[in-house]
Amino acid sequence: MKKTSFSAFLSTAVVCYIFWLLITGQIVSIFTGGASVQILIAGVLVSVLTALFTARFFIHSKAFWLFNPLRFFVWVYYCLIIFMWELTKANVDVALRAFGFKKNNPGIVKIETELKSEYAQSMLANSITLTPGTITMDIAEEGNKTYYYIHWIDVATTDIAEAGDGIKGTMEKWIRRIWE
Amino acid sequence: MIYAIYTLIGISVIFALAGVVGMLRFPDSFSRMQASTNISTFGVLGVILGGILYSLFIFDTPDIAMAVKLAVMGVFYIITNPIAGHAIAKAAYKKGIRPEKEMTCDKYGEDLENAD
Repeated sequence: MKKTSFSAFLSTAVVCYIFWLLITGQIVSIFTGGASVQILIAGVLVSVLTALFTARFFIHSKAFWLFNPLRFFVWVYYCLIIFMWELTKANVDVALRAFGFKKNNPGIVKIETELKSEYAQSMLANSITLTPGTITMDIAEEGNKTYYYIHWIDVATTDIAEAGDGIKGTMEKWIRRIWE
Repeated sequence: MIYAIYTLIGISVIFALAGVVGMLRFPDSFSRMQASTNISTFGVLGVILGGILYSLFIFDTPDIAMAVKLAVMGVFYIITNPIAGHAIAKAAYKKGIRPEKEMTCDKYGEDLENAD
């Protein structure tokens, strides 16, 4: 099993503490005054304990990559604008299929990705799964190329490159901007 | 503002209805899972967004802590949902569940056979 490195531990603890502040509502009290010191200290203890046990599953490399404000901004922009637009298009499409205005043509296609980073690959796979109409079934590495197997509700083409363009859309370009 | 909230929640109810209708109408288990993603994305996000607007603009004193908690709920929902969907689809395929009507193409099955 992988050892917990100190940078992985530190960044996991910081992320845990940010979520602690958000969930307990203390983030508002800090700005308006009247934050409870007891809750803040308890949060530090809980985050450190959690990070000790989970850092080796959470962070494998590049521990402080998203702490760069520019990358974090691109990440938020991707989640709120680019991904939401893809989500809207796909949601309307699948809703039309559900009510019977369009015919289904399901199948499993194989597409290639050029992303190298582990985080980027899993982020693209999760983005594809979350979009209605496509589910990532498996990920395979052959040589130094990475392939996804995707269940697609409307198979327009079985060609690797064309199917990849249809499924990934603009998402891959933006994910590469975040992680590479 | 209350009408904007009504609109958001109405949109998400329509998409949730589409998801349920799809789950009942689609012929095979994989297509049904596709329909259920409809519920888990827009069906939930619309209600959460409506709740955030409600806690910020409708209460006499805006409850920012509640809005933040709702946003965190949305984030966790979005993070955990695709992993479960992927696991269920892969497990169903490995268990041997196949659509009655032949799929247009099945690259995954071909490659699994070649690997054995």
